[in-house]
Amino acid sequence: MSLLELQKELKKFNQASKLTAAVQDVDQLIEFLVNARDEVASANDPHTTSLTLTKLQNPVSAQLDAINSDLGKVHKSQNAFHKALSRSLKETKGTLPTDHDPMASQTALINRAIAMHLLREGQFGVASTFIGEAQPQSETSPSPEETRRPPSITISRPDTPPDAMITDADIPSDLTAFQSQALQEKFAGMYSILTSLKQRDLYPAIGWARENSTELEARGSNLEFELCKLQFIWLFKGPQVNGLPATEKNGVEGALKYGQENFKRFQDRHLREIQKLSCAIVFSPNLADSPYCHIFDISLAFEEVASSFTREFCSLLGLSAESPLYVAVTAGALALPNLVKYTSINRAKNTEWTTQNELAFETPLPKSMLYHSIFVCPVSRGQTTDANPPIILPCGHVLARESLQKLAKGIRYKCPYCPSEGVVKDAKEIIL
Amino acid sequence: MAKTGDRAQVAQIASSSQSWRAAFLSSNCTPQPRLETDLGVTYEPPDFVGLILLAGEDDVMYIIQGHTPECTHEWEWERTGSYPVHPAADWLEVPVRGGSPSKSHPPAHPTYILKSFQWGHSAVMPLHPLNLPKPGQPEHSQGSNSNSITRHPTPCLCRPNPPTPKLPKPILQQRFELQIHQILTMGDHESSKLDHENHLLLDQPLLQLPVELLRKNLRSARFEVEKDGSFVKETLKKTATDSVNGRISQQDVLKTLDSMITRVKGVKRKLTAFSEEENRLHRHEEARVKHLTELYGMYSVDDVKYEGWSRTRLDRLLTDYLLRQGYVNSARALAKERGIELLVDVDIFEQMNRIRQCLLSGSVQEALAWCTAGDTKKELRKMGSNLEFMLRYQQYIELVRKSVHTQPSEALAHARKHLWPYRETYPKEVFHACGLLSMLPEHAARIEPYRELYSPARWQMLADLFTTTHHSLLSLPSIPLLHIALSSGLSALKTPACHSIHPNSAAAPSHHTSLSLATSVCPICSTELNELARNVPHALHSKSHVEPDLLLLPNGRAYGKARLEEYAKKAGLPDGMVKDLRTGEVYNVQLLKKVYIS
Repeated sequence: MSLLELQKELKKFNQASKLTAAVQDVDQLIEFLVNARDEVASANDPHTTSLTLTKLQNPVSAQLDAINSDLGKVHKSQNAFHKALSRSLKETKGTLPTDHDPMASQTALINRAIAMHLLREGQFGVASTFIGEAQPQSETSPSPEETRRPPSITISRPDTPPDAMITDADIPSDLTAFQSQALQEKFAGMYSILTSLKQRDLYPAIGWARENSTELEARGSNLEFELCKLQFIWLFKGPQVNGLPATEKNGVEGALKYGQENFKRFQDRHLREIQKLSCAIVFSPNLADSPYCHIFDISLAFEEVASSFTREFCSLLGLSAESPLYVAVTAGALALPNLVKYTSINRAKNTEWTTQNELAFETPLPKSMLYHSIFVCPVSRGQTTDANPPIILPCGHVLARESLQKLAKGIRYKCPYCPSEGVVKDAKEIIL
Repeated sequence: MAKTGDRAQVAQIASSSQSWRAAFLSSNCTPQPRLETDLGVTYEPPDFVGLILLAGEDDVMYIIQGHTPECTHEWEWERTGSYPVHPAADWLEVPVRGGSPSKSHPPAHPTYILKSFQWGHSAVMPLHPLNLPKPGQPEHSQGSNSNSITRHPTPCLCRPNPPTPKLPKPILQQRFELQIHQILTMGDHESSKLDHENHLLLDQPLLQLPVELLRKNLRSARFEVEKDGSFVKETLKKTATDSVNGRISQQDVLKTLDSMITRVKGVKRKLTAFSEEENRLHRHEEARVKHLTELYGMYSVDDVKYEGWSRTRLDRLLTDYLLRQGYVNSARALAKERGIELLVDVDIFEQMNRIRQCLLSGSVQEALAWCTAGDTKKELRKMGSNLEFMLRYQQYIELVRKSVHTQPSEALAHARKHLWPYRETYPKEVFHACGLLSMLPEHAARIEPYRELYSPARWQMLADLFTTTHHSLLSLPSIPLLHIALSSGLSALKTPACHSIHPNSAAAPSHHTSLSLATSVCPICSTELNELARNVPHALHSKSHVEPDLLLLPNGRAYGKARLEEYAKKAGLPDGMVKDLRTGEVYNVQLLKKVYIS
């Protein structure tokens, strides 16, 4: 049974009797008691009193039974839903691997990752609350023990471990404080540029791209040109579209001026595109029919530019464009079924999956989550590492170094994939 | 069958994991679609015809078939390789490869890029029959049928090319078929498919907790009703007998009745609170089931909606982590900002953290109150929990500590009442408790069991014991879900290159996005997670995963051909030169060497 069916059960559950019925019955019980009290009070003679009290016993106990049966009904529907829930979760095989938690000792690093995640997502408010809450915690959590420990014990202990503890706990937390300040400023800058981009103001972004143009060029990014190009087109469209004041700095004339001022530096790299843009001026009255109309269709260009700006911005900070925490958690959810399967098989063997260098099972991830080239040696079937790098033979085939060493007889080898033979020293390390 | 007009036909194609809606769209549309190739040829209707595939409910469009009347090369759409389509982009680039691509024999022909495929935002493409006339066949066969899409249910439409060179241009020489099936390749299909049931492993506690709380809520309600109900019943019976026998005064009857009414009113007040709690939990459960079932509307990890869903999951896991760490304010702020209040349980953790903090600062009262409230005591006994005993034990230790130089009468009374009855269940503890009386704290430092008993570290132990007991009582996982997700995810993502000594060999995307050459930094290499991932195992791969058409530069670095070419173009290099993407060294193409990865 899947969750889809659970929805129906939930509907039933929501409509089933709830505690409100019991509350109503209690109301009635109060009414009985109040009425009886009034009767006793008004009659004020022992005979009526004992009569009323005797008469009251049955309805009260019946009412109590009714309340109990109300609760019983709620219990029944809860049980039914609980059963349905466990049935619908039964298809999810296995239990979460909670026996061993490799992350338990890494709180400071996890906190740092979360703080950075919140900052990069632009949730500055939450981030500062979090840093405020996490900071004293990570500093004081070792220290109360220190202070509360009676002096006699501190003496009996060697002096070094407490010291090491404090520095260990302090360094990462200091890092958080230090990095967060700088990072927050950086990301605040990024979000202010993104906000201007949303308002179709390209100048802050262009300014940033110009400041960092050397780094951007080194990365092979042409963000600066793309931004300038968009600014040209934006001006070209004129006041009706861009809503800027109709001065000589706007419209076709303004665009031309902007182009003359700014495109020079791009000439050797983007000549063709600049030519296209300038030729389009000829067609300005009937742009829609010109061969250039598609260049001037910029309805989505701002979002496009904004996302490539975010990517470049993060890359220059040495951060990935997507939040690593997001990617890691998503990948974790995707890989979890295999992990659960593996741990349930190996629980009997009592081996921990985290102690090895390499996972013992495959965790297929979509291609968008593979960030590095992966080379698996066709001979040893193992992944290459720093210690065992891939080696290219003169014939163009690639092996792991250790495999080649095993294959080689003396200094000569024969390629396992083609008839060519050679000398081991001709094989070169390759960086994929 | 399909007529020129509106969406004439909608074919349902069930591919392995997806159901696709394919729509043949009309040709009399504006703006006209066009296809511009690298060679400077532009195709426009009616010369260029295509079929659009609408994928999913968000109508992200991918073209799967296209025909041009003229082609200077024998082209066939590459079957593998990814075609990244930015959902917001109005164009896409599709690598076209000559020859017949197959894995064992990579084609020697160059790769062409079809550029600026323009379809306008109205998402319309000309309707044309898919079976274009074969060379030499009369024109009228155009329009015969458009069924081939159902005959080729999976987007794998490579057909043998007809013999072309004899035919004069611009007669229709050749057809080629485009296929873009999502952002992914065929081979990747399996791993991007969502296995709903197993994907929700992490989310089971999400559904279970409200149900557990509901049950607890009801048990508490029952407990109250039972307690006060039997009181009312008994008192009523007694008063009635007393009244009949005349042993009770009128005044006292009224007083008893009043006390009964107060009692029942108290029950009502409590029940109303329980009922409100019940409604709140019902809302929680409903929101959660709704949130989780949304996943069943997605079939692939690349679904646009999946990202949003997955982000919500991250926010949930983060909130859970923050709550467990005791950062309640952060958790509250995060939940509020992301609008996921119904998906997280701030209150229950807040209560837990308060008690935990009290324990850490040396007070057992709050934890004891929690243990004995309502029916928790019974449940704890059922679980075999020693929490209450340990709390009482700590109380006793504190009493002994306090009365070091006085008569330990208070401590003795406490021990008689709370510890002695458990001498069979916890013999060692009770034994030590007796011995503790003779042991002054300053003497105990050297004697093992007693040193431990006087140690302040016990409070930490009690706080942890309380947390574990609390979690298992509510069947919450004992460790934060974020830890589970992270340890699994870090390993799955980690490669040997992530902590490589050559910093440069890191961060090369093996999948190449045509939108940007710039590499995106790997999440494990990114500062946030790098240290954290240092000690986890890396993922196991049994297949190499490298860029297509690798070329070796003289400096020992290898890059995909397409990427090198595009980078050279962007860097404005003259023809025949390429530039290392990382080091920036420039080389002549002649010096490059082909790399064979088997």
